[in-house]
Amino acid sequence: MSIDPSLRLPAETPNTPVRGELAIANLSKSFRIGGQLRPVLEGINLTLRPGEFVSIVGASGCGKSTLLRLIVGLDDDYQGEIRLDGERVATTSLDRGIVFQDHRLFPWMTLEQNIELALRNTNVPKARRAQIVAEHIALVGLEGFEKAYPHQLSGGMAQRGAIARALVTEPKLLLLDEPLGALDALTRVNVQTELQRIWMAQRSTMLMVTHDVEEALYLGDRVIVMSPNPGRIRRIVDVDLPHPRDRRSPLLHRLKDEILAELTAAPVEPGGVSDNLVRLPAREAR
Amino acid sequence: MAGSLVSPSLGEARAFAGNLAALAPPVLLLALWEVVSLSHLFPEQVLVPPAEVFRTLFAMTQSGELQRHVGDSLHRLSVGFILGAAAGLAFGVTIALSRLAEAAFVPLFLTLWQVPVIALVPLLVMFLGIGEPFKVAIVAIASFFPVALAAFDAVRGVPRAWFEVGRVYRLSLADTVWRIVVPATVPAVVTGLRIGLTRAWVVLVASELLAADSGIGQMMEMGRQLFQIDVVLSGVIVSGLVGFAIDRGARAIEQHATRWRAA
Repeated sequence: MSIDPSLRLPAETPNTPVRGELAIANLSKSFRIGGQLRPVLEGINLTLRPGEFVSIVGASGCGKSTLLRLIVGLDDDYQGEIRLDGERVATTSLDRGIVFQDHRLFPWMTLEQNIELALRNTNVPKARRAQIVAEHIALVGLEGFEKAYPHQLSGGMAQRGAIARALVTEPKLLLLDEPLGALDALTRVNVQTELQRIWMAQRSTMLMVTHDVEEALYLGDRVIVMSPNPGRIRRIVDVDLPHPRDRRSPLLHRLKDEILAELTAAPVEPGGVSDNLVRLPAREAR
Repeated sequence: MAGSLVSPSLGEARAFAGNLAALAPPVLLLALWEVVSLSHLFPEQVLVPPAEVFRTLFAMTQSGELQRHVGDSLHRLSVGFILGAAAGLAFGVTIALSRLAEAAFVPLFLTLWQVPVIALVPLLVMFLGIGEPFKVAIVAIASFFPVALAAFDAVRGVPRAWFEVGRVYRLSLADTVWRIVVPATVPAVVTGLRIGLTRAWVVLVASELLAADSGIGQMMEMGRQLFQIDVVLSGVIVSGLVGFAIDRGARAIEQHATRWRAA
């Protein structure tokens, strides 16, 4: 390396502590509905290694999205521990980025302005910002659309723009809340491939919630299977395949069948009321 | 957007056809007016023929009388509108942000809103006389309500999701207001301003009919008292055209302010 060491970012120096390690211990969360406490998450224990891609699948109502809201810090009312690199999560932070299902780009700003907004509260020098924004637009393959308004972008493009906005602050951890859920099947496959490429280029820790088992397996180093009422981790599946992956891999197909069988089976909780049973709709199982 | 899909010449042709179509009903109305006055169904002093009215309009323009009346009315409109719209904005934003203010003021606000502004004329005349303060007040009241309601709805309507984006990127309060709340509320507020302005114009002309010493409404009232129906009809035409121009102008501003919206 011929780079002057003083110019290096801390992350590049060999002695930095782990970057992007998420540790969740005994996490529980309840909502008060009509005066009654209703648990949505119970006893969640999970550790993400720095740079790991982890997917979460589960039926609707298993608290997946709630889990991401807690991790990103939009909701701080929980029991247990959520720590990123040892620091307890209490509110939002530029260390933790999120991509929502609806892209949430502001319609009155161009793509460029939307992404730059994420840098407003950083100490990136103003002169550098335009360049960083341009780099991230290139990273998600949207060159030429810098001045486009969100309504001029297709759903897949807008979602890639939202990914660029979430990455521009270089978060240690990126949360993805069903980011491709609103896209049509073909666009979805394309953006999945894009997302894999972006993750391989960026290597920040990523945690993605999805309905789509195939998507979870294609992208995840591990897949967390959750069960509903209240949301619990039912199983953790290791996907021992190098990236970039081949969708046709027999292992992915075998794991997909296993997970689908697990999700559509009757819940195992003792004393579970049978009419409370939530089955994964066939449409979502795909 | 749609215009770019058709070739420019075809687009122009369509716009031309549209303008032509917009001219047809007024021309028909004039023709009907002419026919009825020629039929002598009504005495000529009551239903003045169109040509007579346009002669009067021309004469009043020549003498500057018409411009003076319209100018006086527009002056009242702008002063009253600025006061009423500013108060309406401030009030609407306050009741949108504070649940306490909402609980305290909204019932009274909604009740007063049901009172036709014209019904306040006798009261206002007793308090303020028939001079300028009275007309400015009536315009301010007429614009206050639609603007306040639009501001309230606009601020309440900012999706929670957008505030969450602001929180995720840790935007300051100032950035949240200027970059999220203001742009998100501009379309609805501008629409409210336009409605307030056009409503205020109608109310102003009506109250000038009732009590004034100048203005387009007073011009019509004088015409009625002196049985100069040509002057009355001139006033009808001019107040309609002015209102139309105000609405069109406000719509143009509205479109410019919301040009980021999907077409």
